[in-house]
Amino acid sequence: MLSEIVAQYSNDAALTAGSAHTGSSGLLGRDFAKMTNDLIFDLPNTQDPAEFLNTYTDVDSSADNQIKFAHGTTTLGFKYDDGVVICTDSRASQGSVIASQSVKKVIEINPYLLGTMAGGAADCQFWERELGRRCRLYELRNKERISVAAASKLLGNMVYSYKGMGLSMGTMISGWDKMGPSLFYVDNDGTRLRGDLFSVGSGSTFAYGILDSAYDAGLQKNDAIELGRRAIYHAAHRDAFSGGSVRVYHINEDGWEFISLTDFDDLHWDYTDRANRAT
Amino acid sequence: MTDRYSFSLTTFSPSGKLGQIEHALQAVSNGVTSVGIKAANGIVIATEKKTVSTLVDSSSLEKVSTICPSIGMVYSGMGPDSRVLINKGRKSALAYRSVYKEDPPVAILVKEVAGVMQEFTQSGGVRPFGVSLLIAGYDQKGPALYQVDPSGSYFAWKATAIGKNMINANSFLEKRFNEEMELEDAVHTAILTLKEGFEGQITEDTIEIGIIGGSAAVSATGEPLPFAFKKLTPAEVKDYLANIA
Amino acid sequence: MSIMEYNGAAVVAMVGKNCVAIGADKRLGQQSLTVSTDFPKIFTMTDKTMIGLAGLATDVLTLRDQFRLKTKLYQLEENRVIEPQTFANMVSSTLYSKRFGPYFIEPVVAGLDKHDKPFICSMDTIGCINFAKDFVVAGTAGGNLYGMCESLWEPDLEPEDLFETVSQALLNAVDRNCLSGWGAVVHIITPDKVVTRSLKARMD
Repeated sequence: MLSEIVAQYSNDAALTAGSAHTGSSGLLGRDFAKMTNDLIFDLPNTQDPAEFLNTYTDVDSSADNQIKFAHGTTTLGFKYDDGVVICTDSRASQGSVIASQSVKKVIEINPYLLGTMAGGAADCQFWERELGRRCRLYELRNKERISVAAASKLLGNMVYSYKGMGLSMGTMISGWDKMGPSLFYVDNDGTRLRGDLFSVGSGSTFAYGILDSAYDAGLQKNDAIELGRRAIYHAAHRDAFSGGSVRVYHINEDGWEFISLTDFDDLHWDYTDRANRAT
Repeated sequence: MTDRYSFSLTTFSPSGKLGQIEHALQAVSNGVTSVGIKAANGIVIATEKKTVSTLVDSSSLEKVSTICPSIGMVYSGMGPDSRVLINKGRKSALAYRSVYKEDPPVAILVKEVAGVMQEFTQSGGVRPFGVSLLIAGYDQKGPALYQVDPSGSYFAWKATAIGKNMINANSFLEKRFNEEMELEDAVHTAILTLKEGFEGQITEDTIEIGIIGGSAAVSATGEPLPFAFKKLTPAEVKDYLANIA
Repeated sequence: MSIMEYNGAAVVAMVGKNCVAIGADKRLGQQSLTVSTDFPKIFTMTDKTMIGLAGLATDVLTLRDQFRLKTKLYQLEENRVIEPQTFANMVSSTLYSKRFGPYFIEPVVAGLDKHDKPFICSMDTIGCINFAKDFVVAGTAGGNLYGMCESLWEPDLEPEDLFETVSQALLNAVDRNCLSGWGAVVHIITPDKVVTRSLKARMD
């Protein structure tokens, strides 16, 4: 019964099989290979699709005929003794125009997994939802939750199969599993890094500045949350392409918990009032 | 001894004078009389137009010149020298207009022209201009009349005359001038001033008159100018002469 | 990268009843990095004429000094205060004099003439003047400002109402533009005084 359900969803995953990686097998079983490596999308019908797409989607090129992606964002996540803190801004920009101040850049993959969004919004949203689907299949198949390490590797493998074709995402996959709190950085190059502290996006340098000055694994929950919030706040202040509101999540052994969503303006006057009172 | 200080323009004589400038002034005094009078509602400049022979087509001579729509000029002294200054004046007015898109105030234009004349008293290889100028214009402050001399010095007048008969003409003006004088009256006075010591018959062909005031005009870019400099046609001059006679 | 968007700016001027207003944001950036939140872009030229300079910051400073020099020299030479319209023409010819290597500046001029009649205008980088009876805008938030002004402006606003209108237009325009904002300043020029107010704005 269960295998029928699994098979049904597994087949759906291969919406359109591309030619580049079909029939890959090896150490992993065919089903697993399908889950990770099968291409879902049609590719340009050329000798080397990546090479072809690179001409049109290379983010470092400034040519006019390019598909360009908005990169303005600040996201951060850090692990500490009692869990993981995830914070993001909420701005979306198209060129210098602010398209939205209320974007949700935290993607709730399942009750124990969070993904963050930086780079192309559509890419992040689609692939992290796809990741959610595959994590659920894993759960059904194995009767236990997927580890954060495995989940992040799923995502990494998926985007790796499209490497060089213009996907744009810089994401953090975090959650709580048998090993405790866990945090990975995954991007469209296929880079996948385990770490205690990451920040991604145009405002990441500013956020790192704040985080590095006060980060400590032994932080109290409230202080940890406040540190994340403050780092996003400062990044939003200095980075033109970050702003809007600061969204905070916390992860512990019970899964993720939404903490707060605070408009930058309220935070700013609150912080400046506090600073003024202190002096 | 005097010659030692007159061959070079830039050499002062022991008495502190620049001989060439004095001589230039003499050249002005040899030129025919010009007169300028400021009226309550305008301004007039006028001059004699002397021809060496009755065979000269006097309509081709032009001694009163327009510098820009709001400024005119007349000279006494050497005609060819005046043309250089007219050209410089016109170019300067145009340069001002290209920056501010409006005519220069009279004082600014005078300063420019006087500056050119001064340069020719201090540069090597040149001589001063053998002319004095009467520059008449109308700007935001109203009518203005200036005299500029070969040295580059300039004076603002209510009424004045330069050239051969300037002494008599000035004493005539002193008697006739009053500040309430209207433009029409000022034109008559100018003609009468020239008449003092005029050699020969005064006709529309032997004098030239330029006025500002009275009728409104339009600038090059189409904005209405309250007043523009205008040379009187021989027919108009004739009417004035008829009124006097 | 556009050089006109390197530093970021928003400048607006509006005509009211016997008064004009000119406002600008305070940000100085280097592309995405906000370097300063107190960078003036509006400068007093005479008692009743002001100029707002949107564009490349280094040219803002250069032109500010140059226009200040030129207006002061004008005053000394001509013994009179330069009229806003004449000043605008001077700005225009200064910009055109660099036709083939322009200053990356879009100026906005606002003032009252000698009859206290309001005057505003804006220019492109090489000095083409846009005379307007209602409002003019410049900077990276220019498009947004047009939208705000188009809906908020009405004729014959009294100084206080004009201040409110300019302020709302400016604040709401920069709130939808990444490269400008971080505070704003508005000047209201009336026949007898100039009122300057700093506006509290979003700081992101």
